[in-house]
Formats: sequence, structure tokens, C-alpha cells
Amino acid sequence: MTKLQAKNIVKTFDHNGNSVLVLDSINLNVEEGDFVCIVGPSGCGKSTFLNIIAGLEQPDSGEILLNGKPISTAGPDRTMVFQEGALFPWLKVIDNVEFGLKIAGIPKDERRLISQRYLDMMQLTKFADSYVYQLSTGMKQRIAIARALAMDPEILLMDEPFAALDSQTRDLLLVELQLIWERTKKTIIFVTHNISESVVLGNRVAVFKNRPSQIKKEITIDYRRPRLSEDENLQKYYHQIVQELKSEVKAQIKDEFQ
Amino acid sequence: MIQNIISKKNSFANLDDAANVVLSLAVFIGVWQLVFMLGIWPKIALPSPLIVAESFAKIILNHTLLQGVGVTLGRLLVGFAISFTLGMLIGFTMIRFKGFGKTLNSFSAGLLSFPSIAWVPFSILLIGFNDLGILFVVIMSSIFSIMISTYGSIRNIPPIYLDAARNMGAKGLSLFSHVTIPAAAPSLIVGIRQAWSFAWHAIIGAEILMSIVGLGHILSVGREFLDMGQVIASMITIFTIGLLADRLLLFKLEEKVRRKWGLDYHR
Repeated sequence: MTKLQAKNIVKTFDHNGNSVLVLDSINLNVEEGDFVCIVGPSGCGKSTFLNIIAGLEQPDSGEILLNGKPISTAGPDRTMVFQEGALFPWLKVIDNVEFGLKIAGIPKDERRLISQRYLDMMQLTKFADSYVYQLSTGMKQRIAIARALAMDPEILLMDEPFAALDSQTRDLLLVELQLIWERTKKTIIFVTHNISESVVLGNRVAVFKNRPSQIKKEITIDYRRPRLSEDENLQKYYHQIVQELKSEVKAQIKDEFQ
Repeated sequence: MIQNIISKKNSFANLDDAANVVLSLAVFIGVWQLVFMLGIWPKIALPSPLIVAESFAKIILNHTLLQGVGVTLGRLLVGFAISFTLGMLIGFTMIRFKGFGKTLNSFSAGLLSFPSIAWVPFSILLIGFNDLGILFVVIMSSIFSIMISTYGSIRNIPPIYLDAARNMGAKGLSLFSHVTIPAAAPSLIVGIRQAWSFAWHAIIGAEILMSIVGLGHILSVGREFLDMGQVIASMITIFTIGLLADRLLLFKLEEKVRRKWGLDYHR
């Protein structure tokens, strides 16, 4: 069953009075329970695309269908894990995880059960009463994932969530995320500029072109899980994506130096 | 455990602070006594610490001081409460309507630096030589600071907090109370502290010029009767109340917020 459908998404930005076409008709279908990664050169609009799916930004034309119904505003059925975590520093870890549940008016006892479950899953139960500044970057991202999962969303959106992590922590979380995905059966769209990350995580990798962006190619990665980033057998997918991206990155760099 | 270590550290720091305060006070009074004994100024212009202590005892025993403090604090609290509520509401409106906010923001910046005493003649003629007139001066002296800091603190909230909250379903009132206010709190409190001190300046000034009771009035009576002891005694009272209000209430609040946010670790 198709979970999410992006139809002809077009988005322009106003840059110093000039209108810049960022997304030039993006079409993407995501099946229920699928794990789709989006890679592309920096500034190609992949985060913008994710924001449009989340409803945080509006497209100029085109529409997003969730379970066949068009969406227009932000909503807890599409929760996002942001690059910097975006945890609230005025709340304890447990209250951060429960934030969306509280907004939804779920009673406290029930909230506690849910937040405990996801804190357990992330192995952060003993930090429930800590404040955000007391956590490492890796812990913050795990809390952000717990916060997003606690909403039991239709689809989980991840915007370069591991970009700020050291490589050991990232490798651990790459495995952890695969296990969580298998356990929760969530549909995930994961944006990254890191090719090996996309190969390890994705059932499918959508390669974005340089601005104005379109989906250049979709690559299916049919390989057993959990995958490790050092797995030699993933190399061929890695090189395939590198080939696709090479000309795009060149174009992007040329754009920036013009 | 971390909380424990922090509070232990704080109690040592408090002990240290107390010792420092006592020492500084002793030095201050010592120098004062010394200058007094040198006889540079006549006794009537610069009394000794002991004479001031006697004046203190006098105005405490005949209840003028307590009554004065009561009246002044009463006026101050009413005036500040009004200016806090009104200032916040206007600040929120400024956020809601961008053009209005921009205009009023520059306008308030001008009035922010306007001396509180300069409102007195206007207030006497507009409202009268009474309590309401004094309240008016207090409000006009502190409300712009509240407005500007409400407006500025909300505008400076990192957009990612609002995005994250909207993403989890917060909007309207829930977004405002669960995210906007707490996210703005650290800088909002700084503005409230400033407004409080402006209100405090204003009430004493207004009472000197337009009241027949209150701390400012005690100060002005001291001048009229050439009673420097009373003048200094009321000045010390004003200083102490101002300090206590800031340290015990506003500063505590600010520290609490800063600790939560982990802003206590600036080196």
C-alpha cells in the first residue's frame, strides 16, 4: 500500500529579490514500511522537500498525499528528527519525549508508559530526569528519535540526524535505527549527504540532482540487515551512487563559485 | 547526583559571599568613620555612622519607616503589576501584527531612555497630585522596558524550536504557552529585572516630588529639616530593599532558568 505520495512538487525561493527554482517537479512514492533515503549535493533542496512533507513549508505547486489524502499543515502524523535534535532545553528528557503526547492531551499515566517504552528502547531510562545540556550529542539524537517515535507517527522524517555525530557513535546508531525500524515497522524517509549512511539504511536511495532539483535516479538496495557500514558487499551500491552524484556535485560547486 | 554537586558548590559559594559582604561593609563603615573624624565636612553635612544609626532607630521607633516602606512597596507592586501585564499584552500584540510591532518598537526605544522624573509634571497636570499620579509615573517608567523585552525575546527564539513544536502538533495557544514563553524566558527575565529597577527609580523620584507619605517622602523631609541622618538612613533602606528584591526574587528566578538551560557553564 502506498503510504506517501509526492506529486510534482515545485518550490522556488526568494534570494535577494531573485526567484530561485529549488525543486523542479519531484515525484516520489513511498510504500508502507519502506525505508527511503534521499541523497544529493548540498543545497539541492532535499531538506526543503522533507519540510514540505512535514507541512512546515508549503510547495508552490504539487501535492503530498498521505494514505491517499492531501496534507497541508504540519501534524504529528509525520514527525521529524531534526539535524540538531531541536530538543527543548527548558524541559527534562522525559518531558521532551512526552511533549507531543501532552499537546495531544494524553493523560499523564499513559504518557509515562509510552515515554518509558521509548526511553528503554534507546537505553536512556536513567537520564529521564536530566536536562538537555547534560547529554552528549549522540544521546540528544537518540532522545529526539524517541520523541518522534513516541507520537506513533504514520511516517518518520529524518533530516540528517547523524550529521553532527562522531563516526563511532554514528555507526552504533546506524545499527540501532535499523533494529528500531524492523521492530516498529515504521515508514521512514531519511535525508543525508552521507552516501555510505544512505546505503546502510535505505531499502531505496533517491538521488537528487543539483538545483533545480529532480530525482535523478532511484537505486534499490536489496541486502540483508542489519547492515554495517564497513560491509564490503555494500561497496557496489556506494560506487553506483557516487557515480550518479559526481556530476551533480561538480555542477553545485560551479554554481557556488559563479 | 549532578544536582547535588551543584547545590553543594552553591552553599560553599554562599558562605564565601557572606564573608565578602561582611568584610566590604566593615571596610565601608570604617572609611566613613575615618572621613568623619578628619572633619572635612561639618557634622550636619556628613554625620558619623553612629548618628545615622540613631536616626534609623528614631524613624523605626516612631513607625514612620515601616509605614513609609509599606506605602511605597504597595504603590510599587500595584504599578509594576499593571505595567507587567499591560506591557506583556502589548508585546504579544506587537509580535502578532508585524507593522505595528516595528513602529512601536522604535517608539518605545525612545521612551525607554526617557528619565522617569520627566513624567512628573505631566502626571501632576494630567492626573493630579495623588496616588494615581504616582502610579502613572511608575507605569510609564517601566512599561516600555517590558514591551521591548517581550517583543525582542520572542522574536529571537530559534525558529527550530517552533518548527519542532508545530511538527508535534502544537499550535495557537498550546504553542504559545508550551514553547514561546519558556523559550523566551531567559531573555525575558532580564528585561523584567530592568523594568523592576526602572519602576523602583520612578517610585522614589515621584514620592520625593508628589507625595506626603512613603520612602521618598521621608527622604525629602530629611532634606527639609537638614537631617542628614534621616536622609542617609532612608537611602540605606532604599538600597537594601532594591537589593533584596532583586537577589531574592528576580535574580533567583533568572539563575534557575539559566541552570536548567545549562547556561551556567560559561567560563
